[in-house]
Amino acid sequence: MTPSIPVPPATVLRLDQLSRRRAGRPAVRNLSLALQSGQVLGLLGVNGAGKSTTLSMIAGALRPDSGSIQLNGEDFLERPELARRLIGWLPERAPLWAELTVSEHLDAHGRLRGLNGAALRQARSAIIERLELQPLARRLAGVLSQGQRQRLGLACALLHRPALLVLDEPANALDPVQAAALRSLIREQSAAGTAVILSTHLLTEVTAVCDRVAILHEGTLRHDAPIRSDDQAALERSFFEIAMHGATDPARAA
Amino acid sequence: MSGGFVNTLAVARLEWRRLVVRPLAWVLAALTLAWLAWNFTLLLGDFLAGQIQRAALPGGPGFTDLVAVPLLGQLAQLAFLVVPLLTMPAIAGDRRNGTLPLLFAAGVPASHIVLGRYLAVLGWLLWWLVLTLAMPLALAHATSLDWGKLAAAALGLALMLAALAAVGVASSTFASHPAIAAAAALIVTLALWGVNLGAQMAGINGGAINWLAMSTHLQPLLRGLVSTTDLLWFVLLVALALALATHRLGSDRERG
Repeated sequence: MTPSIPVPPATVLRLDQLSRRRAGRPAVRNLSLALQSGQVLGLLGVNGAGKSTTLSMIAGALRPDSGSIQLNGEDFLERPELARRLIGWLPERAPLWAELTVSEHLDAHGRLRGLNGAALRQARSAIIERLELQPLARRLAGVLSQGQRQRLGLACALLHRPALLVLDEPANALDPVQAAALRSLIREQSAAGTAVILSTHLLTEVTAVCDRVAILHEGTLRHDAPIRSDDQAALERSFFEIAMHGATDPARAA
Repeated sequence: MSGGFVNTLAVARLEWRRLVVRPLAWVLAALTLAWLAWNFTLLLGDFLAGQIQRAALPGGPGFTDLVAVPLLGQLAQLAFLVVPLLTMPAIAGDRRNGTLPLLFAAGVPASHIVLGRYLAVLGWLLWWLVLTLAMPLALAHATSLDWGKLAAAALGLALMLAALAAVGVASSTFASHPAIAAAAALIVTLALWGVNLGAQMAGINGGAINWLAMSTHLQPLLRGLVSTTDLLWFVLLVALALALATHRLGSDRERG
């Protein structure tokens, strides 16, 4: 019998010296990090730390002023069409087209991501079933509750089975049961090899599902290290130290 | 199918779906078609009343000149109001709802977003034109239509609608609110129509100012005269408006 050789996880995302100014001030400064397939990165930071700007650039919705983004080894800034297949993005507050139904949203997102015909129908049915959206399928997005909007946004992000899932505060407006279901979904995606970036304000969310945590402060990366689920107190210390005093955590060097 | 075509088609389908589920599109269609149908019956009544006198004039104006073309002229007047109302949410609505980044994040280039939105609106406007044309065409078996003149007038109207839609989409790309987009589109299209009014009143019928005016290029088509210059004017206006819209939307992604 041939011994199985473990396949090293591929680098899905690599940011190098990424910078972006917004409203006349630097929102993200010289941000560099890499993410392997199956890895779940928690992105922490106080409001205005640059989390959403970073995620918008990774998702392809915003161009950086300088630096580079590589997706599966290819230059994403040169080839923004890579986003179509490789990235699923749930922006903060899940923006939707109010006049379309849940089902029509999934169809529209599927087509924008290159799915058509039987492949689109199959993907739509699978995600509707997985996120328990059947009772909402014919409902207009404009009348959904915030929690339901988040679930639909998540469904749109997952529909085309992306290699990188970018979630901007996905637990917002979810009840505890839905939040637990979200954690389970993230773990499931990670096990299937999807790299996940999760921006959140909830430290418990990070320790529950993430392998690694990055803390942003005033647009710069102050902490980037693996986390252990039993080490929430240490994470809290690092977070508050950075948030209150802007200190650079020694763990970053690790 | 190429990726660009798929992108444009996906955006057009999305916009078309949004257009047909909005009450505004249906209300506009119902009101304008009812108005046009009423005017069609009035024009037809006048035509029938004067039929005996015209029989004495060989080569005089017929059904096409007195009913079909004036009806299309009324459609052209309505279009100045209808098109800005239809195009106003094309991009400005997305910008306001925060849904524009979803299209960027799907890897759709600005040019495909603009073109997709434009094609959806144009589809609705051409359907509107066809329903209006159906009124005179319904009497084709009972009267003698001048098919060449009617085709030229229909082409002129289609080009005018295409130009107004392009200006409307471009205005929507520049505006932060749909109502501002509608107002801007109305002002720009009215200015394009009447830019030569002063020159006309002064008795000047040539020159650059007259060439700039939309009326200069539509009137010959409504009279059945098709010239390359007129067709080119409309094509240039559409291309310029869509290029400006693409440039503006592209810079949206740059600026965030």
